[in-house]
Amino acid sequence: MISLRNVDKSFSKQPVIQSVTLSIEQGEIHGIIGASGAGKSTLLRLMNLLERPDAGIVEFDGTDLTILPKQKLRQIRQEMGMIFQDFNLVGNKTVEQNVAVSLELAGVKKHERTDRIQECLRFVGLESFARKYPTELSGGQKQRVAIARAIANRPRVLLCDEPTSSLDPSTTSEILRVLQDINQTLGVTIVLVSHEMQVIQSICNRVTIMADGRIEATVATEPAGITEITSDAGWFLTQLVERRDSHA
Amino acid sequence: MPDIVLEYASEIRLAIGQTFVMVGISILAAVLVGLPLGTWLYLSRKGQLLSNRFVFSSLNLLVNTIRSFPFLLLVVFLIPFTRIIIGTAIGTAAATVPLAVIAIAHYSRLVEQSLLEVPKGVIEAAVSMGASTREVVLKFLFVEARSGLVLGLTTSIVSFISYSTIMGVVGGGGIGDFAVRYGYQQFQTELMLYMILIMVILVQLIQFAGTTVARLLDKR
Ligand SMILES: Nc1ncnc2c1ncn2[C@@H]1O[C@H](COP(=O)(O)OP(=O)(O)O)[C@@H](O)[C@H]1O
Ligand SMILES: [Mg+2]
Repeated sequence: MISLRNVDKSFSKQPVIQSVTLSIEQGEIHGIIGASGAGKSTLLRLMNLLERPDAGIVEFDGTDLTILPKQKLRQIRQEMGMIFQDFNLVGNKTVEQNVAVSLELAGVKKHERTDRIQECLRFVGLESFARKYPTELSGGQKQRVAIARAIANRPRVLLCDEPTSSLDPSTTSEILRVLQDINQTLGVTIVLVSHEMQVIQSICNRVTIMADGRIEATVATEPAGITEITSDAGWFLTQLVERRDSHA
Repeated sequence: MPDIVLEYASEIRLAIGQTFVMVGISILAAVLVGLPLGTWLYLSRKGQLLSNRFVFSSLNLLVNTIRSFPFLLLVVFLIPFTRIIIGTAIGTAAATVPLAVIAIAHYSRLVEQSLLEVPKGVIEAAVSMGASTREVVLKFLFVEARSGLVLGLTTSIVSFISYSTIMGVVGGGGIGDFAVRYGYQQFQTELMLYMILIMVILVQLIQFAGTTVARLLDKR
């Protein structure tokens, strides 16, 4: 579905991605893991051409994106949703306006927009938050809005750049569950960048390991499942007490 | 109303009218030209959507140059240009030309600064959703920077009022000119103080309105 061939990318003569070849298959949840600075974000941003490669080819469904005219590239980007570590919501727009703008950009008619916004917010469990502003939401809720916005145009791929890295463990599992749901019920292919092994292991079918701008390996894995992590007081207590007792 | 003010009522009314024309045209110029220019300045910066070193350096130099002129010299310097546009270099209409020029330079810089405060991630998200540069500006940048844009315009308007007070040098009139000619030069200190009072009230009102609007617009 997405295919990078011999892609290079440098920032001010500093090579950041070096002859990377990688293909993302239809329907998979593809993890990309590596140390901070390994080039994961850059690699992800190359997939929707937020970064232009210095050399090599980036294909989406067999179309070389690097030679597309701007207008066509923008249409393709609407088939690829993207979410970020810092959510990147528009603070002066309400939840529904944040989702609406994505539909406006794709030229969805106004009467249809209302239904689609409802549908997307229901999917991420935020239908009652439509009129709230991002600042009134928790981190996990903001990321859900970002997800609703990213899937509003029914993309075929969802690019996720450290989507859980600023969230606490229980919110992390919530978001991972939403992503898995998007993959399983909507059939959206997911590329998940993270530096956290637990996150990658929980839902990915295939994982690419990156180091210093290169791909070390790509391996098939069995998703380990999303660990039940709660943040309620009782759970904290049992954990602490069990630990103490097992050491005693 | 104090007698001295009543005595000059019609002159004062005329002066206030002239100030409103001069400041009004400055505001129009700031919004219609300064806003797009400041946006372009921002967009042409390194790493931004229309990044272009030549465009950025040129615009930057132009804005800096205009802003570094002592305003009185800018007025004199622009006289030939004003003649071409208005047909004369004297009068309220002629005074609006240098005022518009400084207004554009002044506000465009503040626009650029407000836009720089929008997190880059928001723009990135917009681009990833397939927004064109125009859509990024209208549906994201201006929405996110709107309270800064309003505060900047408020600051600019206060400066425009101050600039307008010296337009007496080219016969532009206005409250400042009236205060100097009737108050200062004719030793009617009381009249001068009343004119200053009018200016103070005007500035207070504008600042209050600007701050209030900016606060109401800011949902972040
Ligand atoms: N826009 C940029 N300009 C300059 N250097 C960059 C830019 N983006 C990333 N880099 C550099 O590229 C390297 C890889 O960054 P990144 O892809 O963000 O890594 P990761 O996401 O794995 O932490 C880092 O050394 C980073 O400093
Ligand atoms: Mg990163």
